[in-house]
Amino acid sequence: MEKSSKTPKFSNAALEGGKQRESLSEKDSMKAKRRQSQYPPFGMAPVEEEHYSDSMKTKQFASRASRALKIRYANTYQLEPRNKFRDCLVRGKAQAILTNQLGEAKYDGLSSPSLCASISEEILRAVKELDFDRYKYVVSVLIVEKAGQAMKVASRWVWDAQKDNWVSAKCETETFIALALIMACYYE
Amino acid sequence: MEEFHPHNDEMIFNADEAHNIVKECIESVLGKADYNHNKVNQWTAAIVEQSLTHLVKLGKTYKYIVTCAVMQRSGAGLHTASSCFWDTTTDGTCTVRWENRTMNCIVNVFAVAIIL
Repeated sequence: MEKSSKTPKFSNAALEGGKQRESLSEKDSMKAKRRQSQYPPFGMAPVEEEHYSDSMKTKQFASRASRALKIRYANTYQLEPRNKFRDCLVRGKAQAILTNQLGEAKYDGLSSPSLCASISEEILRAVKELDFDRYKYVVSVLIVEKAGQAMKVASRWVWDAQKDNWVSAKCETETFIALALIMACYYE
Repeated sequence: MEEFHPHNDEMIFNADEAHNIVKECIESVLGKADYNHNKVNQWTAAIVEQSLTHLVKLGKTYKYIVTCAVMQRSGAGLHTASSCFWDTTTDGTCTVRWENRTMNCIVNVFAVAIIL
């Protein structure tokens, strides 16, 4: 798969029917399989059938002279993720990270903010490594000093109850409590 | 072959709008109340549910996650951090901090775009 440079304008492409199409490189967070297409732009002329019999995801290129490049995906006919989010695995990993990093730490007003941020990044990295299909993640970590006060944390969401899920992990020491919330949202 | 255009081609999460919505919800629920251990459950549930209802009423194609933490004020420290793996062009987050004499309230809103 090759990355390539900017697409020629629509009006020019119309004249250069067989010319190789090139596209802008994609945003990093969206993974897409790419290949250089030798077919005319989408919507211009009937596209040959073999282009669609390919079961892999392919990007179709469409360019407008005045508007920014629009990318359209061919149907994959996949309604479910191949590798579904498994909360038991994630809970185990998150708990392990919390106990490793915080097991013997003492609450300190100066170092806690950076500790909090680094834990959330590490949990995110670990969840990404588990490589679940088509998921976006939100990891939230709270560190609360113990001072005899009461605290309540509540969450609600509007999402797809069948495919989206969440996991929480807690670590308690003498001076503080750490709480990690990991939410996974299905995205296709 | 039909060309399918998503509802809104350049969908961006409007953090200011979300901030205002959430702030109004907090003020309507907590307003001038003092910390009351018996009522905290009701308060957090009300804040989160109201915020969610108002956000959904915006009518955008987003999934929302709203987290609320209410803490009694006692001089203790509280740190929160979040990291997200998503599409930075369409998805976004908003955090609202509110406090009064007896308690602190932090509300996090995460909005994840979906394509219909």
